[in-house]
Amino acid sequence: MTMKSSQAPVIQRHSMQSWGTVLLLLAAATGGGFLLDHHVSLTSQAMVYVLAVVVASYSLRWQQSVVCAIAAVTAFNFFFVPPRWTFEVESQENLIALFTMLLLALVISHLSAGLRRETEIALLNARRATQLQELATGLSEITSAPEIMTLGQGALDSAFEGPNILALRHFDGKLELPEGLSPSVADGLQCCMREVAVLGPGTGRWPGLGAWYIPLGDKSQMNGAACIQPALAGDTSAREHAQALCTLLGQSLLRLDLADSMRIAKNEAQRQQLQNTYLAAISHDLRTPLAAVVGAASSLQTQRDKLSQEEQDRLLASIVSEATYLCNVTENTLQLVRLANASQQIKRDWESMEEIVGAVLGRVRQRDPDRRIKSKVPEGLPLIKADPVLLTQLIGNLLDNALKYSADSIDLTVNVTDRELQVAVKDRGPEIPAEKYSSIFELYARDDLSGQRGVGLGLALCRAIATAHGGTLTLRRRTGGGNSFTFSMPIEANQPEGMRP
Amino acid sequence: MTLRVLVVEDDHEIRSLMQSSLSVEGFDVQTAVSVSEARVLLLHALPDLMVLDLGLPDGDGAALVQEVRKQHSLPILVVSARHQETQKVQLLDAGADDYLTKPFSVAELLARIRVALRHRGTALAAAVTVHELDDFRVDLTLHSVQGRGQALHLTPTEFKLLARLVRSAGRVVTHRQLLTDVWGAEFTEHTHYLRLYMGQLRAKIEQDPAEPRHLLTETGVGYRLAVD
Repeated sequence: MTMKSSQAPVIQRHSMQSWGTVLLLLAAATGGGFLLDHHVSLTSQAMVYVLAVVVASYSLRWQQSVVCAIAAVTAFNFFFVPPRWTFEVESQENLIALFTMLLLALVISHLSAGLRRETEIALLNARRATQLQELATGLSEITSAPEIMTLGQGALDSAFEGPNILALRHFDGKLELPEGLSPSVADGLQCCMREVAVLGPGTGRWPGLGAWYIPLGDKSQMNGAACIQPALAGDTSAREHAQALCTLLGQSLLRLDLADSMRIAKNEAQRQQLQNTYLAAISHDLRTPLAAVVGAASSLQTQRDKLSQEEQDRLLASIVSEATYLCNVTENTLQLVRLANASQQIKRDWESMEEIVGAVLGRVRQRDPDRRIKSKVPEGLPLIKADPVLLTQLIGNLLDNALKYSADSIDLTVNVTDRELQVAVKDRGPEIPAEKYSSIFELYARDDLSGQRGVGLGLALCRAIATAHGGTLTLRRRTGGGNSFTFSMPIEANQPEGMRP
Repeated sequence: MTLRVLVVEDDHEIRSLMQSSLSVEGFDVQTAVSVSEARVLLLHALPDLMVLDLGLPDGDGAALVQEVRKQHSLPILVVSARHQETQKVQLLDAGADDYLTKPFSVAELLARIRVALRHRGTALAAAVTVHELDDFRVDLTLHSVQGRGQALHLTPTEFKLLARLVRSAGRVVTHRQLLTDVWGAEFTEHTHYLRLYMGQLRAKIEQDPAEPRHLLTETGVGYRLAVD
């Protein structure tokens, strides 16, 4: 949709054509006059010329219609008014008729030109209204400032000849001006930003400028400025349209700005909330075992002589197990922080799940003297691309949790499907309620079923490790009671050469 | 003869803990707090074993390991925190004999030292050729492997791999060392060979390959043949 308010380049192209139209109309009228010659009166022949003048003044610009009117009268005089083939006029009556005709032609020309102009204005206004509506609709779906600028630039360029400049305010308060902008335009934009007012012809401010400078935004929040050309002092409706477009753009930028501030504030609040929960939980997780260690150690230090050998052993065992637990918490925390640093890619190599399970069991059996963990690993597993240290930590954490939370046997199984390797840890412990199935993996959304510590951190790390391997960690209710944690990760379609003879 | 141990560790608590628990076991313990101090002590008198902490204040344990390895075969035990994975493997590849991860128990420390001292001088004297634990028995000179109550048949590569572990029984052997010694120096990146052949070996030797008794995995580092 184009609707240039100025038609300067278009005029050149059309002017030859319209003069041609004038000639054509006059020739047609003259031809018609000759056809009707001897059949009708001179007045009727004059009407044919008047018809040509009406057509010309409705379809052409006024200069052409006036020339057309004068030429029509002249031609009528030359071809038809006696004495014919001369510019002389014989009778006074004919002279009056000629003048009347000229006057009539001019009046008609004036009226129809006015009518045409009003039609054009109405059409232009309709188009402008449509454009505003389209821009508003387009802007409502946009979520970034550059998109707003692109859409805005398009709208301005389709409404105004240009060059039109849209400049966005940078977050440091300066305008982002395009390269190679003329200093006067840059000054105009800066000044418009400063004054928060429309500048340029017809605005009463800086009427000497060659363009309109329109602010994007209002006094409370300026988001940029626009430079629109050409600017004619008298073309109020064009300026109003430009201002309407800029208001829409300014409002959109403001909406975006508000949404941004709201999001930032919300994130910050969430981050602080998380940090507080995290700190509270981790200090609880560290403080309790530390208290146990300090208590046991100080008791041994001051009361050793009064304690039985059995009690001494119990205190020593407690120091070792609490300290080991502290090591685990520290290790899990560190690993989680490392994984949270997304830029750090994990190191992956060809690994065997059988081997990883073996290494985990070798470590966990120290805490499983009754051999409650029953493992089932099929032969001939495909290799996986993984970080073995992380996977050992994942499976180890799941087994440690199961040992803590349940008193019965625990099943550790490995399965292979078409594209996935699955490791499941299933216990018969108290069932975790379904509504906690997703929150249990969040940092310190600990399940307080039996007052044990440190689960939140461990499971959060497990899920982070699963995700880092392109896999998942899910919790399901186990058939027959208990919980089933399943880690799934993709198997590389291309196994290394020379594998599986 | 009293065996001399040099402990290089910058943390005071851990240094005095090691000193007292090793002294109790009858070792003559010297301590150093830095690489430079360790160098001076090594020039003065050669210990029978060195315990070297990673991340000393004045620099690179790896350089020290390389220097010592050029001239002496004394066993070197590396002590590392868990996040020093890569550094630890580098030191083992450079010639350190074994490692301990902090936190470790005194029992673990003593066990590692016992194994390291057992291998002392193997570079000069005849290497270990027989390994025996429970009903699993390997005789490298006779080329025989017995386990699970019967003679086991291994492929040549499987045997080579097992033999390499037997020669360092009880100590960790890194992926790189195994690949270099069994397949050749150009195969050091082919860790999947190890996964495959260790899997096959376990299937033949172990009662439960998923919970091995003999062929232990040192996650991210290498393998170890169990001695107890």
